[in-house]
Amino acid sequence: MDIFHHFSPDITAILITLKLAVITCFFLALIGTPLAYFLAFKSKKTKPFIETIVTLPLVLPPTVIGFYLIIFFSPETTLGKIFIILTGEQLIFSFYGLVLASIIYSLPFWVQPLQTSFEKIGRDTIWTSYSLGAGLLDTFLNVIIPLCKKGFFTSFIISFAHTLGEFGIVLMVGGGIHGKTKVIAISIYDHVEQLSFEKAHILAGGMLILSFIILLTLFYFNKRSVVRVK
Amino acid sequence: MSNLSVLLKGKIGSLFLNFEHTFKNDGINILYGPNGSGKTTIISALGGFVKNIESRIIFNGNEFKDLDKYPPYKRPFGIMFQNPILFEHLNVEENLDFVIKRQKSNSQKKNLISKKYLINHLELTSLLKRSPENLSGGEKLRVVLARTILKQPNYILLDEPMSDLDIKYKAKLLVFLKDFNKKFKIPILYITHSIEEISQIGDQIVLIKDGKKIDSGSVTNVLNRSSFVDLIGKFEISSVLEGIVVSYDQILRITTLDLDGQKLIVPGLPGNLKDIVRVRIRSRDILLSSSRLETKITENELQGIISSIEIEDNSAFSELVIKLKNLKNNKKIQKLRSRITTYNLKKMKLLINDSVFVYISSVSIDRQAYQSI
Repeated sequence: MDIFHHFSPDITAILITLKLAVITCFFLALIGTPLAYFLAFKSKKTKPFIETIVTLPLVLPPTVIGFYLIIFFSPETTLGKIFIILTGEQLIFSFYGLVLASIIYSLPFWVQPLQTSFEKIGRDTIWTSYSLGAGLLDTFLNVIIPLCKKGFFTSFIISFAHTLGEFGIVLMVGGGIHGKTKVIAISIYDHVEQLSFEKAHILAGGMLILSFIILLTLFYFNKRSVVRVK
Repeated sequence: MSNLSVLLKGKIGSLFLNFEHTFKNDGINILYGPNGSGKTTIISALGGFVKNIESRIIFNGNEFKDLDKYPPYKRPFGIMFQNPILFEHLNVEENLDFVIKRQKSNSQKKNLISKKYLINHLELTSLLKRSPENLSGGEKLRVVLARTILKQPNYILLDEPMSDLDIKYKAKLLVFLKDFNKKFKIPILYITHSIEEISQIGDQIVLIKDGKKIDSGSVTNVLNRSSFVDLIGKFEISSVLEGIVVSYDQILRITTLDLDGQKLIVPGLPGNLKDIVRVRIRSRDILLSSSRLETKITENELQGIISSIEIEDNSAFSELVIKLKNLKNNKKIQKLRSRITTYNLKKMKLLINDSVFVYISSVSIDRQAYQSI
């Protein structure tokens, strides 16, 4: 029991991190999937513009995104008011603030693999499905999703892993409040600051192993399906 | 049943399409034209896949004007695209079932063509459980064709379906298509580049160039017109003759056709007794002589009268049109085009209205050139 108490703050941080990653991926599936579809098939003139916006989080310092989120979602603004109505809290220092920040930060990681996957199955496959009498939703559920399994898998794994590893933006938006917005990455930072290297080792090592396993799974499965196609 | 009336106008890429034609609601209708002339666009537009052009498509009393009201998945066409696709996540049988499952929504149609019929006639039995990625080009094509037909469409649109096939497969599939078309009376719009395919299965033909219709009519007529010659280039010029099977020799495998009283021996057994068979003869395969030759060098000797001579500028060749003698006096006139060097024309001193003897080697009549009708 002593050991449990010793590590209980870290366990809380782990649970919050996992919860954040799962919820973020859920919203990414809802938002990022149509966006990837749009980019793959629909847009022509607007495509470079939207692609740029989706890719921005890759190149911007997380603090820049965090800064603008805090500004745009401050309680006086319309966006801020909508956020309060939806979640009951203001964005800063709240868990759903973290979720929103993670969605934006991980958006390119969801959209890009899926967009590539959609582009690969191509327009002809979709036209074929329509011409056989399958409507839009029917085609999406029974043709596109099964054919893009690999793309969905990649998007999910990479976005999940990426959300686990966020630091700057979660610190900026969430503030690292224990039991609420303190995720693993921040816990490690705190442990190192307090010179408790033993705890930092456990969390850091755990993250390393987990990320390694996640990526290994991804590359293993993707490689295997490439071999199968040949 | 009404015909399929199509009007399409608009710019697609670099092509300005201005196409108007009413396709017959029976037989096999060929759409022929050079690459980039708009053939594929016409099929795509019929399927509802082309936006931002003026289109008026009337079929079975419905006008498919509004893409929202008639989106691609509600149109009664069975389309086989140029690059035929099977869904890779389903096996062959599941690919066929994909379209059967979606049949119920348009339930007013009587299910005429059974899965079993197609599996038998397209030889799919051994393929059913296989995954599309392990199929050869020909196997894939047969499955896609079966799936297209299983939609029970009111009109079948095929975009160069045979372009990648080897000759043996092609001949079989063409026979299947022709029989299928005759049996189920579902009209087919067929895009092709191959003159063999046209003469073998085509009933009507539309010629298109640069987005515009150049000519249309029955295959026998259009193939002998100058509009067609302009499209295919002189070297491939040919004539289509119709003859009735009067006898065949099972051992030597030859068939004798009656061409309005004259005889033409062709290789193979293209039809049964009394069938009308269409034969394509290339202009460059014809030998002419102003007097009868005492020769056994070819199987066939026909008689005719030269009705026109065209000496080509800047080329070594001349084109002659020969009206074949009709010994039956049934008023039918069959014309044969001949391509010879201008040197030989001058040497033989041939003039319009001269009688000529035509010599044709049966070897030059390939098996693909027949169609029994």
